Amino acid sequence: MSANPSEMGGGRREGSFEREPARRVFAAELRECRYQFKDGTDEKSPTFVLLPTGERSNRIFIVGTLTEKTRQGEQNVFYRGRVIDPTGTFFVMAGSYQPEAMQQLAKIEAPAFVAVIGKPNLYQKPDGSYLVSVRVESITVVDKDTRDLWTLDAAERTLDRLDALREGTSPDIVKAKEQYPIVDPVVYRKMVYDALAQIKM
Amino acid sequence: MDYSEVTDRISRKFSKSGHEIDRQKVEGKLRRLIEEFGVQPAEAERSVTNELNKEFGIAPVAGAGAVTPGGGATEEKKVAAIQSGDWVTLTGKVVSLSAPVSPAIAQNGIIADESGGIRFVVWAKSNAPKMEEGKWYKLESAVADEYKGVTNLKVHSGTTITAVDTTEPLIPAPVPVKDLKPGVASVRAKVVQEWDTTHDRMLQSGLLGDETGTIKFVIWKEQGKEKLVPGSVYSIFYAQADEFNERLSLNITGATIMQEEGDIQTAGGSGDAEVRGAIVHIAPGSGIIKRCPVAGCNRALSRQNYCPIHEIQNDFAYDLRIKGWLDDGEKTHNLLLKRDTVEALTGMTLDQAKEIAENNPLGMDEVFLQMREKVLGRYVTCKGREIENRLLANSCEKVAFDSSEHTKLLNRAGGA
Repeated sequence: MSANPSEMGGGRREGSFEREPARRVFAAELRECRYQFKDGTDEKSPTFVLLPTGERSNRIFIVGTLTEKTRQGEQNVFYRGRVIDPTGTFFVMAGSYQPEAMQQLAKIEAPAFVAVIGKPNLYQKPDGSYLVSVRVESITVVDKDTRDLWTLDAAERTLDRLDALREGTSPDIVKAKEQYPIVDPVVYRKMVYDALAQIKM
Repeated sequence: MDYSEVTDRISRKFSKSGHEIDRQKVEGKLRRLIEEFGVQPAEAERSVTNELNKEFGIAPVAGAGAVTPGGGATEEKKVAAIQSGDWVTLTGKVVSLSAPVSPAIAQNGIIADESGGIRFVVWAKSNAPKMEEGKWYKLESAVADEYKGVTNLKVHSGTTITAVDTTEPLIPAPVPVKDLKPGVASVRAKVVQEWDTTHDRMLQSGLLGDETGTIKFVIWKEQGKEKLVPGSVYSIFYAQADEFNERLSLNITGATIMQEEGDIQTAGGSGDAEVRGAIVHIAPGSGIIKRCPVAGCNRALSRQNYCPIHEIQNDFAYDLRIKGWLDDGEKTHNLLLKRDTVEALTGMTLDQAKEIAENNPLGMDEVFLQMREKVLGRYVTCKGREIENRLLANSCEKVAFDSSEHTKLLNRAGGA
């Protein structure tokens, strides 16, 4: 007749399981993340990066242009790629622990518009600087329309977060103000405006 | 390790009742249990003591806290007031009997009075007279205990059962679905979904809903049981609510079920959910699938044409579906698309998919891959019914770029 819950991707098996939503965030904001935390003490507790605009993010959805990809490693092959949005660059990677994602990425010829679902991770490089890289869960070639739709979506979500940040008192917002004292909402508004302005009418 | 202390203790216990124990043998047993089998010392002591009890023919001493019925009359109670650990006497009607799951059980079912219903078990060893469904009985000195978080009543050899001659009608009050807790309850609810059954002993499973919420229900196959009709409203008396993985479900196999007139506006299942978001995952089992041709089954077959119930079915029917996650940035919805929606969204018809499945070297996988390429990462608006985060979409369309939204956002970003 209809849906069998056990076939529907895990809802039932884990009782109160809820999939973490994919946040829409521009590269210029993601690049500024400096704070990563775990929700819970369990080994399998989800890891979040805290966005400077005051929202936790375990997963992100981005659409942009894959400009280059490189194959690395001998025994443990993995692919790195750069995905460009109107504000900057996302660093994406897929290794042998994500065989599906790696095969998808391996097949795509740059340049191409791509939609990426993945998990952001914060790394500190030996020189002390930070890098946010996105571990790909899936990557598909899309058209320019999808890229434009995403730009609108990411713009709207970013503006929503900025509005919430101004008034908000949620624990994540309080934490963000503490972790990112120099975040200037005006700069982020300008980033959003510039991103939107790049969409050709 | 030295076992003489424990042996002393055991020895003292038995010397009280005039028995002499073989100390060497006892020590040997303790050593074996503890050193060879890794048994905890306390457990080893208990085990050896029990063995000696048996040897000397001494009735085991009841553990601390056990109640001895000792002849005195137990309290007459209403069903709703019964708590685990009580010795009770009650008068009630046997409203349901179900097939015993073990030879140790003579009868099990539900007994009810005007305050509510409770499950009972009659042990085979009790030699109690058989009770009949629909009749009233007085049970004296039954024991209430807890099994899987639910209080139930045990009829043992010390329980007296007497038939009570009454024809008093008993109409239970329905409980709102959101207030259900483990135990016996009655509801008035609508069948809002019917699911594929996951077990060959299962007659039907799905979702029941009323104004306050929804709950999973199951009917197991038993003589004379009939399926409920999706969309119909029923009064269901004395169903068993069980908790599993922190979720409640309602076993209505033994319940008295009456179809009702009218309709219920069920919570959350109003059928007009609309979600706009990106498709962020396409689950395995999407694309073209084979379904079991047996009437009323329609389950998805495995690659080897194996139906979990009807085994190999080479005369299958093809179907299309997409299962995945639709994400609006705040919340992720479990998405299920049926054949017509899949065709409209992907532009691939069932016939085209069949052609690929039968002629492409990758077969059905090729359909999955092509469909994934077409929909993954795309923005869509899906409309349909959403229950418990599962969206059964009856329409799903790609979102088109809207320049007025673009202008609005430019103004919003620039205007601050």
